[in-house]
Amino acid sequence: MRASNLMILTLMAAATAYGAPSTQVAWTPQTLQFVKSGKAEHGKELAQTCNGCHAAADNPAPSLEGQLATYLYRQLQDFKAGSRKDPVMSALSSSLSDQDMADLAAWYAGQEAFAGTGGVSDPTGIAGRGDPTRMEPPCAVCHSGSGAGEKVDTPRLSGQKTGYLEKTLTDYKAGTRTNDVYHRMRLIAGKLNDKEIKQLADYYSKLR
Amino acid sequence: MHINTLEKRWLYVALGMIALFVGAMFYTSYSRNIHPPSHVETIDSASLHLSEEFAEDKLGVQPQPLADGRLQVKLVAARYGFYPRQIEVPAGRKIVFRLATLDVLHGVHVPMTNMSTMIVPGFVAEVTTVFPKPGEYPVLCNEYCGLGHDHMWSKLTVVAPDTWRAPTQTGVQQ
Repeated sequence: MRASNLMILTLMAAATAYGAPSTQVAWTPQTLQFVKSGKAEHGKELAQTCNGCHAAADNPAPSLEGQLATYLYRQLQDFKAGSRKDPVMSALSSSLSDQDMADLAAWYAGQEAFAGTGGVSDPTGIAGRGDPTRMEPPCAVCHSGSGAGEKVDTPRLSGQKTGYLEKTLTDYKAGTRTNDVYHRMRLIAGKLNDKEIKQLADYYSKLR
Repeated sequence: MHINTLEKRWLYVALGMIALFVGAMFYTSYSRNIHPPSHVETIDSASLHLSEEFAEDKLGVQPQPLADGRLQVKLVAARYGFYPRQIEVPAGRKIVFRLATLDVLHGVHVPMTNMSTMIVPGFVAEVTTVFPKPGEYPVLCNEYCGLGHDHMWSKLTVVAPDTWRAPTQTGVQQ
């Protein structure tokens, strides 16, 4: 293949990637109902594969217990569709059906939520108050004051592994994670400096 | 049941006032031919990011003006901001804003201008306006939309027409 052709192909691929929506999932009443009707018993069987990494405290994979079912379902769909990239998760999610995803989401959402040690305050002030000078809304207005997450699919943060929270914010900031609709988390994380990212990750991991 | 005569009179006054105001509403809507909006443009808010018009890479100031020379701006209101967060438009030119919401009811208001409308889930809101004075303006939400409502604002920069350059591409990151 000639170099010019290769270049055109590369440009086309880049254009497609740019034009692709951040997620293929839309929270229509049908999808919401479908996720709600997930069967936890079947999810429990499937979850045995997941727990090898996700339930291990020393593994960077995030804790899933008590996470919002909508969030878990969308992440699995996004991994499968390539909207969110991770070599392990892309491979594992590719064999899951929509029903499997709803079942897994239902199982994990029904488990007792991961909880932090408590007794922690946010040194950045961003979690509770945001920073109007940077057009930065507070984390709490979407993720709730207790960090428990909110509908439709704003995830639970409190008690999550510190490393995972830090990696997520860093990935959003760097633009390597792109499955946030209308760049909302990319814009928010992009305004945080590395120290604030560390502090917020630490705060939410300890929050009860 | 015994009601004091004075209290009864005041009750009649209050009921009379209600009848007068409701009557005035009926009279005005009938005589001036006022109806609820019809032929409104609808859109599915839940799948807004998958729609043709409000896809993530189609937002902001459109590089191509409309046939009549008006400039088109597409904005999405979502908790908590207007996307793209910053836009730049020329002063003294007709601008058509097309707005849609991803989640709940929002309002959009640019202080010191007449740019203001409600953005209702399921509908496209369209406003045409001209910004006479260059400057930096906040774009505010003026319908309570949730805990972060007071943080919901974006930035609009109005520049002199000769220094304004049409953007080469659209998108949230514009």
